[in-house]
Amino acid sequence: MDLASIIKGRRSIRDFQDKEIPEEHLLAILEAGIWAPSGSNIQPWEFVLVNDSILIKKIKLLSPGLYGMPKILIILCMNKKRSGRAGRQGLSLAIIDISMAAQNMMLMAYSLGIGSCPIASFNKSGLKELLDIPEEVDPVLMISLGYPSSWPHPPERRPLEEVVHVNAYGKHLRR
Amino acid sequence: MPMENILEDEHFQLLAFLLTSARGCIDEPPIYGPLRLIDAADKLISIIVKKYGRQLTELQEIRRKIEKARNLVLTNEEEFTKTLDELVRSLSKIIKKA
Repeated sequence: MDLASIIKGRRSIRDFQDKEIPEEHLLAILEAGIWAPSGSNIQPWEFVLVNDSILIKKIKLLSPGLYGMPKILIILCMNKKRSGRAGRQGLSLAIIDISMAAQNMMLMAYSLGIGSCPIASFNKSGLKELLDIPEEVDPVLMISLGYPSSWPHPPERRPLEEVVHVNAYGKHLRR
Repeated sequence: MPMENILEDEHFQLLAFLLTSARGCIDEPPIYGPLRLIDAADKLISIIVKKYGRQLTELQEIRRKIEKARNLVLTNEEEFTKTLDELVRSLSKIIKKA
């Protein structure tokens, strides 16, 4: 599969099959995360891998935005000690860095036939309590993983002509 | 019910959903409010159907409309609102008939 097909084919999956993800695929997804760019190469991320179905059920109780029963959850967290090295911009840069790591993971997952969904609607303090996440680490985003029951149709995209401004804001791309 | 089994209790699951949604709705996009409410309604229908069995076809119809609304919430707010109107009409029919 070429890169454009992977980028355009990825969908947010909210209904999963009861089928295990091979460990080598899971490691490939996690590794894709650590190869994301990060400001000043700070790599402010910590990934909490959840593969225990009972724990996933407990996390679901704290996560209104988590649909379906995924086989795996990856909780992408910000290590504030690391992000602090970037000065006042540290927190916002870390969010950007973690988002890029998340996208890497979801694209890798899709290339392996695995569905994913990025989820921000979870209770962060509840999750910290449940997973023993220390004070200096904050959960930012959760990715659910599993084989999809179906691949949804893509939602409409704003066209390039609307989104792209050439040389000055308001001068829209013409094709 | 022993506390260690409470995670299996659908009422407790609904309780957890409502409380975490209440907190989440403070920070999240306003449209997530109605989404959480229809998700809660869906969970409540599961509880009612389990209690009374499968004869509640009107509630299953409401559930189908909830699923339709859920698929529209982030892509077509106008259609989402129309589907919520349909949901309330279906509910009103049940209330009228009862």
